[in-house]
Amino acid sequence: MLLPRLFRESLCWSKTSVLLMSTSECMCNNSLHDLVNSRSLHSFAKQVVCRKAPQRLGYQIRGVKGRRNPYTASQEEEWRKRNKTILTYIAAAGIGMIGMSYAAVPLYRLYCQATGLGGTAVAGHDAGQVESMKPVKDRTIKITFNADVHASMQWNFRPQQSEIYVVPGETALAFYKARNPTDKPVIGISTYNVVPFEAGQYFNKIQCFCFEEQRLNPQEEVDMPVFFYIDPEFDDDPRMARVDTIILSYTFFEAKEGQKLPLPGYS
Amino acid sequence: MSTAMNFGTKSFKARPPDKGSFPLDHFGECKSFKDKFMKCLKDSGYDSSSCRLQSKEYLECRMERQLMAREPLERLGFKDLLDPSEESKDTKP
Repeated sequence: MLLPRLFRESLCWSKTSVLLMSTSECMCNNSLHDLVNSRSLHSFAKQVVCRKAPQRLGYQIRGVKGRRNPYTASQEEEWRKRNKTILTYIAAAGIGMIGMSYAAVPLYRLYCQATGLGGTAVAGHDAGQVESMKPVKDRTIKITFNADVHASMQWNFRPQQSEIYVVPGETALAFYKARNPTDKPVIGISTYNVVPFEAGQYFNKIQCFCFEEQRLNPQEEVDMPVFFYIDPEFDDDPRMARVDTIILSYTFFEAKEGQKLPLPGYS
Repeated sequence: MSTAMNFGTKSFKARPPDKGSFPLDHFGECKSFKDKFMKCLKDSGYDSSSCRLQSKEYLECRMERQLMAREPLERLGFKDLLDPSEESKDTKP
């Protein structure tokens, strides 16, 4: 009686393996049912043969591998998710860098204005300073004047004094003279230059004749004044400690009628 | 010079004047004041501090003739020349 029971257990096992298998049928399947019903030795032999069928074995092996697949599938999905987040971070960093490079231009300008580096005019130079500044009497600076015209400009333009001695913090006046020797009115526009460059930021003009069109009638001669001062902070700047001479140079260009020139400071 | 685009070199940045541009004195209305100023400069060896009174007079002339925007002279740095009670050492050295 034990033998049939064993058969039944083995039958159960084979049955479960059948469940994992594909739909291919085995002749032994039917025989299993027979075996359940009949417990003859002949069917037992058949069952053993069936059990050892290679197809079933292959399926059984594949079934075992199939059991590993769900595990790797979840791991693969985890990897995919991780890759996606990493890619998102890298893309965000790339876009952030591009945005930073665009933002750098105005930010740098703000930084230069705040710290005064890069030779830009330090913000904080206002007209009210003229009233309250005190001349630094022990520091005398020689200002040399230079006048130039553009090659095609026919004015005679020259300074009326070759040099002037000023002290920082004190306003000074200087004159240039311009003459139009032609028979036609000529419009000129001028710009200026200060050497040494670093001293240029301390050279403040209150009023002059630059950056605006000046019209001279034929055979006319005018005096052009420049009213300026050197910032008293000039004396405190260590870079200016050895500067004794400043050269102020004006250059006149001819302006065509109705020509709009880009002028510094005037928008 | 100021347009040399060398990397790192400081270049000169031209700045507009505070009060703009002087209108041209086409008729030479203030020429006498200018001549006085130039003479003072020559006599003092081109020392600007000595001739501040003359420069103040020239600017006053301009303001009277509408050749310059009216401005209180203190704002133009002539505070010490206006107030006679200031110490004399603040004026001409």
